[in-house]
Amino acid sequence: MSNSDDHDHDHNAAPMVEEISDFEVLEVAVRELCIEKGIFTQDDHNQWTEYMHTLGPLPAGRLVAKAWLDDDYKQLCIDDPVKASLAVGVDWVNSMPSKFGTPSDYCNPRILVDEPKVKHVVVCTLCSCYPRPILGQSPEWYRTPNYRRRMVRWPRQVLSEFGLQLPEDVEIRVADSNQKTRYVVMPTRPEGTDGWSEDQLAEIVTRDCLIGVAMPRADRKVDDKRHVHKAIHPYGH
Amino acid sequence: MIKSHHVEKATGVGDPQCFKGEAGAAKFKVGDRVRIRNLPDIFYTRSQMYLREAEAVVVKLVYESPPAEDEAWDNTDSPEWFYSLLFKQTDLWPDYPQKFSGDTLETELSERWLEAV
Amino acid sequence: MSKSIPLLDKIGEEGRVWNDLREEYGVENPDPPWRVTLESTCEALNEGACVLPSLARRDEEDDLVDELYSHIPHPERQLLALAHSMIIRGIMTEEDLAQHLKVVEKRLNAA
Repeated sequence: MSNSDDHDHDHNAAPMVEEISDFEVLEVAVRELCIEKGIFTQDDHNQWTEYMHTLGPLPAGRLVAKAWLDDDYKQLCIDDPVKASLAVGVDWVNSMPSKFGTPSDYCNPRILVDEPKVKHVVVCTLCSCYPRPILGQSPEWYRTPNYRRRMVRWPRQVLSEFGLQLPEDVEIRVADSNQKTRYVVMPTRPEGTDGWSEDQLAEIVTRDCLIGVAMPRADRKVDDKRHVHKAIHPYGH
Repeated sequence: MIKSHHVEKATGVGDPQCFKGEAGAAKFKVGDRVRIRNLPDIFYTRSQMYLREAEAVVVKLVYESPPAEDEAWDNTDSPEWFYSLLFKQTDLWPDYPQKFSGDTLETELSERWLEAV
Repeated sequence: MSKSIPLLDKIGEEGRVWNDLREEYGVENPDPPWRVTLESTCEALNEGACVLPSLARRDEEDDLVDELYSHIPHPERQLLALAHSMIIRGIMTEEDLAQHLKVVEKRLNAA
């Protein structure tokens, strides 16, 4: 599956769902009708599916780990994120079937570098733009109106719901991804990681750290479980 | 329905990279203070309502591209400069706590949305 | 306000969502196996003939979810919204879909 938080599990004989749901039937029916009507071919579809299967948060985690160890590379991440992404196996322009990006995946990544007193967090209030080529599919909570509408307005409160309490003297900078830039947060390297290798460091840079709702910790390799809140007072944008 | 991308032009180059050099001279530079215009939303826009009439500082000229308002209708004739803008949270939300007056929000708008302060 | 589509309402009401299925079967994957193929369908609809542009689809999905499918989790709601968008745009009819659902259901359950 594309969500690489679970890549490790894929290698085990994971249990299967032995039941075909109406939603699964609907997905197949919609796809087959498109093919039947000549809107796209099975080949077109397969190319996208193959590409989607390659996506996950691992390359972005590795990019951060490399930058923690190499100041020149860190500078490249800031100056030319497309080039920096190549070093972790992501070609923003050419690896997706369209070879120029899509409205979901425009080719203008930007790495937001946290500082000890500046914490970045990413949201897309208009829809749910997400740096999919380097971070995979967005988590469910990222797409909810609750997160999208509240993060811009009450960022400290929303972050504390995620278990991240920011000290008063740390500035928060919310990036609202509304056009063609796709943001990835580069958090600061946590304590307790002196002498660690790139592989070790990459393991603690989880998806949530790269969105900015968590900070890496030496003792945490998987994201905490998130409860998805419903918006109580949604407002239009 | 309309084709919303100039496939040939963008292939192997990337979008928005394929519009590089098409917007002419940029009207604003890094450090300029600007106000977000309250233009009418006729059909489609990606300029958030909560930014309208707020002031911001230009922090980066990010790329050239047709604005979303045109691109949604396949009009790629008039690319504009896009700016990354930094807003103070206390300027955007009247009830934002003053003790967090250093908190900011960064987002992008095309040139047509900006006026000099 | 969007008009509801009986066929999709029925799936929304009766269909078993992934969260329930994975709990019952002890599966850890947070996404159903069809999520990737659904995303591919969305991309393929945007590409080429550009029958359903991504930006329009995504906007419509937000509205449809707000108005009709807010009680259904993601990605099931994304799927319902996609099918809904395709029907109101005449990319397929409700009858087309009803008929093909029967064919697919029979085939998948025979396998």
